[in-house]
Amino acid sequence: MTASKAASDHETDAAKTTSDLSDAANIKYLTVSNATFKKTEGQMLSVKVDGEEHPAVYVHCSFPHTNRSIYLSIRTIENKEIGMIRSLDEFPAETAQFLEEQVSIRYFAPEITRVVSVKEEFGYAYWEAETTAGLCRFTVRGGGGHTKLVTANRLLINDVDGNRFVIPDLTRLTDKEYRMVEMSM
Amino acid sequence: MICDRTTDGKFLDTYLILTGNRLFIATSLDEPAKEKIYKGYAVPSAKTENAQPKQSQPAGWSIESFELAQIESLSIVNLVASGMVVMRAAEERTVGAFTNGEMGRASRFASAFEKLKKQESLEELHLHEEHGHASCPKCGMIYPEEGRQICPKCMKKHAIFGRLLSFAGQYKKSMALIIFFMLLNSGTGLVIPYLQGTVLIDQGLGGNGMFAHQIGLIILLIIGFRTLSLLFGVLYGVINAKMSANIAFDLKSSVFSAMQRLSLSFFQRKQTGQLMTRVNNDATELQYFFVDGMSFFIVNAMNIIGITTILLILDWKLTLLCFLPLPIVVILVRKAFPRLWRLSWRRHRTISRMNAIISDTIRGTRVVKAFGKEQKEMERFHTSNLAYSHADQSFNKFAGTMFPVLNVLTQTGGILIWSFGGWMVMGGDISFGKVLTFVSYMHMLYGPIQFMNNIVSWWSYCMSAAQRIFEIQDSVPDVTEKANAVHLDRMNGDIEVSNIVFGYEPNKAILKQVSMRAKPGQMIGVVGHSGAGKSTLVNIISRLYDVSEGEVRIDGINIKDLSSASLRNNIGIVSQDVYVFSGSIAENIAYANPDCSVEDIIYAAKIAHAHDFIEKLPDGYDTIVGTGGHNLSGGEKQRLSIARAVLHNPRILILDEATASLDTETELQIQAALDSLIKGRTTIAIAHRLSTLRNADFLIVMDNGKVVESGTHEELMTREGAYYGLVKKHDEALKMNEVISA
Repeated sequence: MTASKAASDHETDAAKTTSDLSDAANIKYLTVSNATFKKTEGQMLSVKVDGEEHPAVYVHCSFPHTNRSIYLSIRTIENKEIGMIRSLDEFPAETAQFLEEQVSIRYFAPEITRVVSVKEEFGYAYWEAETTAGLCRFTVRGGGGHTKLVTANRLLINDVDGNRFVIPDLTRLTDKEYRMVEMSM
Repeated sequence: MICDRTTDGKFLDTYLILTGNRLFIATSLDEPAKEKIYKGYAVPSAKTENAQPKQSQPAGWSIESFELAQIESLSIVNLVASGMVVMRAAEERTVGAFTNGEMGRASRFASAFEKLKKQESLEELHLHEEHGHASCPKCGMIYPEEGRQICPKCMKKHAIFGRLLSFAGQYKKSMALIIFFMLLNSGTGLVIPYLQGTVLIDQGLGGNGMFAHQIGLIILLIIGFRTLSLLFGVLYGVINAKMSANIAFDLKSSVFSAMQRLSLSFFQRKQTGQLMTRVNNDATELQYFFVDGMSFFIVNAMNIIGITTILLILDWKLTLLCFLPLPIVVILVRKAFPRLWRLSWRRHRTISRMNAIISDTIRGTRVVKAFGKEQKEMERFHTSNLAYSHADQSFNKFAGTMFPVLNVLTQTGGILIWSFGGWMVMGGDISFGKVLTFVSYMHMLYGPIQFMNNIVSWWSYCMSAAQRIFEIQDSVPDVTEKANAVHLDRMNGDIEVSNIVFGYEPNKAILKQVSMRAKPGQMIGVVGHSGAGKSTLVNIISRLYDVSEGEVRIDGINIKDLSSASLRNNIGIVSQDVYVFSGSIAENIAYANPDCSVEDIIYAAKIAHAHDFIEKLPDGYDTIVGTGGHNLSGGEKQRLSIARAVLHNPRILILDEATASLDTETELQIQAALDSLIKGRTTIAIAHRLSTLRNADFLIVMDNGKVVESGTHEELMTREGAYYGLVKKHDEALKMNEVISA
């Protein structure tokens, strides 16, 4: 089940119970009316909520793999939640854009567009792949956990330093690419 | 430092340069790099040279500079799988972003900034990182295991092989015998096709040559050689079985005893699982090496050479013919096997996913039932079952196609010989028996060739296994006993720790300038947050590790000068993670002192408040516990370990969170047990629950590897410092408990 579906399910079939839950959870939602986001000169994000200014905030995704535009958590560097955004669609395009920028800074992971080669030797897989950030060559430790499916078709790859790479949709790979990737899954 | 990526998801270098009073930020104005090579990826040198010219014409740099005084702080923000440098001047700003590989350097950069800001010297910071520690200097390959500088690619396999051979030295005789019998076995086997073909058909039936019309004799010869071959086979098998068991035994015990000799730090560096695998798998691997590998290699090589020679002598033209399909077979095997391997991997993956679901639902039955999700679980299982079924089918289909095809191909050699040989027989060039001989020999050839095909990877595996085993054998224990160590039969228990510094890894001190004193019979309490270095301190007092600086003296003697026997006999540890060995309860209590009387065991159990629960067990003190035995609860195990310590009767007792994992009631019982144990001994007790330390004569409070406070409970309470804070928090937690239970 994708997160967006989960979210919509959540809204419809649980409508009666949500009111109790949301009371109990007590989540502060940021909306256009109570929060103003601003991009600072230093390329940071600041937010003004109910008159209170938070100079440097970070955007955390609740569902970084399934849907990055819903349920964003706005947090300070001390990991204190200032509030959550239900959906970026609620905000004007400009605001949504710099929130998205912040998301892409935080969840930096080149998306692999073409797998050039995956070679395995002595417990390491050596990848060469074209990504959205250019051609990347990286090394992945073998044996479970470093290459894993996060949804049915989305593959997350962690290299030896913990850098992340993503194959957004395995079904879009060619057979030859899939064969190479499969052996290290 | 280099920030190697930009915030919009491209790779572009930004250099941050820190000088005495300024910070420079140099941003390259180049186009974002098209390529990025991460750590561990060994690039062939030709490629790096090609990459150079691109970088030689930079489009210039935009340089910004800041006075250090203007910058309030510089911090590293951890993002998901990357990092960002954030500087706070008038307002916060992003300075640059970097990939995870730069994280270590970035945090050093930030701490260098701190130091400069505070006008401290940078000497302590090791700004020059050690290069080449993580990857092989020769080929650039990253070392498969951290902290082990062995590159499987560049490892000197011959040296290891030589060493392995020397290990096999004591089995020289058996090995020579095995090889001898194997050679005889295949030698006698080799005669048979000749007898069946050329001799039987051409000479016996054809009626010419020395065996003309002597069918009986020929048959007898065939039977004789078969029997001989069988006999040699049996002999070789028997000797082999004996030797293989012996070698495995020797290897395992040598690795196991080498491991026992090593210091604790070795075991903490390597995971236990890895060690177990090492002892077992590697020894097995090497057993194969000696038993199957070596002898089969020699025999197969001899077979190939022998058969080929015989064939060539018989008829070189036919020989070439029968080698004709061989390359095709080899190519096919090379092509098809990876695919087969891939399919079997896919099957393995699907089956493990299915097993995960099965074990999920069985272990989580209560949850499944409680939420009424049986139907959903069935669907979930169905999906994975289907996936497995598909994978299994495709594997079997492929295997079912490939092997017959291979078989047919192998037989084409025979068919070729039959056809050409038949043609030549008709022409009268060769005899029919010869053709028959040929075909039989050819079939004998394929096995050894298959074996040789796999030899390369097998060789690599063996040498890696050997390397790992030798590594254990070669490891030198960090903590060693001095040659003229002082032996103390009975210590008074006067412990003096002065200014010790210690870290598991260089540059990362866990203990910094720690000092403490325990007079004989005193109880010292050590408190502090987890990770403060409390356990490390007691590990050092019992000399499981050696200090980097400072010294620990017991009864005025540096523990490095004491014999390990006197330390072990006089220091007892009861720790949080109690370990119960497989065996009876009595054996477990008597672990430290196996020769003690039954009475002592019962006394010890009684003192440890374990006697009552043991008596309640149907098998009493004979109850088998540990792996596969009776399951003891946490509190029961803890009391066993206390009984163990009681029987050990040490002068110095170390209680490392002995009651931390227990519930309050059990803790009270154990506390009583501990109180009776503590009497008359120097005790160092570490505890989370401060109530456990109510009897302590003296308390030291540790934080971040340092002693921040020390004194009696009253002194520390009046000081209202760190201890006071801990007690306050502790009390609040207790009150919370009361509220909850009320």
